[in-house]
Amino acid sequence: MAASLARFVRGGLGRGYNLARSSCLLQQQSRLQSSTAETRPTIRPKDAVTHSQLATFGEYVAEIMPKYIQQVEVTSYNELELMIHPDGVIPVLTFLKDHTNTQFRIMIDLTAVDIPSRQNRFEIVYHLLSMRYNSRIRIKTYTDELSPVDSAVPVYIAANWYEREVWDMFGVFFANHPDLRRILTDYGFEGHPLRKDFPLSGYVEVRYDDELKRVVAEPVELSQEFRKFDLNSPWEVFPAHREPKEAAPKLEAGDASSEKK
Amino acid sequence: MQFEVGKTTGLVGLAVSQSPHEHLSILYSKILVSLQSMPQDAAYRKYTEQLVSERFNHVKAEADVEKLEKKINGGQIEEVILQAECELTLSRKMSEWKPWEPLIEEPPPNQWKWPI
Repeated sequence: MAASLARFVRGGLGRGYNLARSSCLLQQQSRLQSSTAETRPTIRPKDAVTHSQLATFGEYVAEIMPKYIQQVEVTSYNELELMIHPDGVIPVLTFLKDHTNTQFRIMIDLTAVDIPSRQNRFEIVYHLLSMRYNSRIRIKTYTDELSPVDSAVPVYIAANWYEREVWDMFGVFFANHPDLRRILTDYGFEGHPLRKDFPLSGYVEVRYDDELKRVVAEPVELSQEFRKFDLNSPWEVFPAHREPKEAAPKLEAGDASSEKK
Repeated sequence: MQFEVGKTTGLVGLAVSQSPHEHLSILYSKILVSLQSMPQDAAYRKYTEQLVSERFNHVKAEADVEKLEKKINGGQIEEVILQAECELTLSRKMSEWKPWEPLIEEPPPNQWKWPI
């Protein structure tokens, strides 16, 4: 299965663009056919080559922009992540889009994650894709409920509706957005539904009132109270992973660190 | 290639460039000038100068467009021109932003800790 997948990857991607080869650039992933018999086929094979290539590339970007990049990681699934300061959204995204060695011309996704226990509870996540070098990258910033983040729309037009969605669902304000308004919720809706403190059933429910001849919004009435099931088993699930894994030794100036999850 | 190499690029909205060498030389020299305003030890200046000088030398050495495309290995020559234009705007913006300075602010403790 892996062999046929490798053949497809090599045949499908090699035909289109010429992939530039340079010491700083990523190469096409090549699956090595191991000569020894596979003893644990369900374990995800560790691709050290891609991992090291991504780590090198992450160091390259971190070396060019140390002002904004706080951390660089390559996850265990071989995904590169850059953690940046919120002031650096536009510089880093412009660099990744315009620089010849990166050319991440396509924005795939823009979302937010709500982690209420943190000081800056929202984590804004950008996913970019480079067609020329066939690679993806993830950029993360942070903000709290009241601080605005620079809008990515001047850099990537695709960010327009994604930022409207983040505003609507989380309440993160984007400065210099051309048209920041609600996109998914109802017109008079109050609240930001995807925040962790917003209840599952919401605060209001709507019904058609025959006397007033229109739809009215009333506080929600549930016939059964909300039940939360704690589905954790009483037995320890991962006895081999009791201690947290130590992070890999810091590289260079401490900007890049590769962490296994 | 399915398309006529001299007549179209094969890409929508990208017209064939009539004088790519001239265009590229102008763009690369402008980029190198814009890079002069940055400090010598800035990583962006180092790597971009290396990249741009390498491509500039290829442009000066090779007169045939197809061979030049193969040498640069960055897609069609019109795409290379587009990349150079992007790099030029980027280098100008980088001179303003100065990203080689040290980190502006450390993240709050446990900001990037995962799992929480």
